[in-house]
Amino acid sequence: MKTRILLADDHEIVRRGLSALLQKHEGWEICGEAIDGREAVDKAKQLKPDVVIIDIGMPNLNGLDATRRILQQDPNSRVIVLTVTDADQVIREALDAGARGFVLKSDAARDLVSAIEALQGKRMFFTPRVNELLLAGFLEKGQTMSRNQPPMLPTLTAREREITQLLAEGRSSKEAASLLNLSTKTVETHRSNIMRKLSLHSIRDLVVYAIKNKIIQIDMPPETNELAAVVSGQRTDSPV
Amino acid sequence: MAANTRILLVDDHPIVREGLRTVLQRRAGWEVVGEAANGVEALEQVERLQPDVMVLDITMPRLNGLEVCRLARQKTPTTEILFVTQHDSPQMMKEALNAGAKGYVVKSNAARDLVHAIEAVSQHRTFTAMTRPESGSTSDSPARNS
Repeated sequence: MKTRILLADDHEIVRRGLSALLQKHEGWEICGEAIDGREAVDKAKQLKPDVVIIDIGMPNLNGLDATRRILQQDPNSRVIVLTVTDADQVIREALDAGARGFVLKSDAARDLVSAIEALQGKRMFFTPRVNELLLAGFLEKGQTMSRNQPPMLPTLTAREREITQLLAEGRSSKEAASLLNLSTKTVETHRSNIMRKLSLHSIRDLVVYAIKNKIIQIDMPPETNELAAVVSGQRTDSPV
Repeated sequence: MAANTRILLVDDHPIVREGLRTVLQRRAGWEVVGEAANGVEALEQVERLQPDVMVLDITMPRLNGLEVCRLARQKTPTTEILFVTQHDSPQMMKEALNAGAKGYVVKSNAARDLVHAIEAVSQHRTFTAMTRPESGSTSDSPARNS
């Protein structure tokens, strides 16, 4: 029986590249594709793939929150997260979300086949760079940190994170309500709760929070821009 | 018979280069003559291969695409440069064209726009296409100027 794979990435050119790579492998088939996290969750439920390959930075619902939902729907799902960065926080988030594989996009052509084979054998797969971090005591440090300071993200519910992403992407409460099949009033109530919980005072604050916590990702031009400086903490007073 | 259009692909992600290839290989008369994974490699390849079109990413290690574009225009002025980038920004597009590029396509639309863009730039016509309606560029009907 063939191993059925669901691909989720908002860039068609990347999906084509992944598809071309994986279809060379006998016994594997691409059973579906998704262009954002929301579609990935729906297609995972509908198609029940053996493996889901999911990009982190996607519109509407990011790959990490989509992974959480896919695993809520079916705890036996096997998800490989594709990412452009192996920053500590992203790795920790991916593991917390329940991903069993972590592959850098830059290394996907080399690592993805091994990652799928590992998951088929009920094992996990990390890129060499992640393994290096693990060996360097990353997890121990993370556990120490989590004992000492409460993580920021769990303070929001899944629905609140979803609304945070939509608002930070520039959608109005009305547009978010329409996408989520909720009333505008309900979204506005969530919005107030989000702002209160996180002690935020403006949409600008919300955008910065969403970027810092990898709920959304921004394009970084070759030169550091003002927003990058704000997010990295070098500046706190710049308008977004 | 018309000569092949020779294309060099430059992107630091092999999976993106593979995706670009799948779009281009369906076209008779187009040939991907080389690939490069960073800016320095791109400059070496463009000088050696003298392709008709270089498909170029902006954010890359060692030397970014804008610098590659400026230098390549000096070294091999016959090669037209088409940016395929994640930067959906009119400022970045302007900078790319100022650097000497003939075309600018956003990665999220590359599967749709790439063929039209290469057709245009290989005939020395400008092609730009972005997704943001407020950017001043077109979305569904990419601008083509001679």
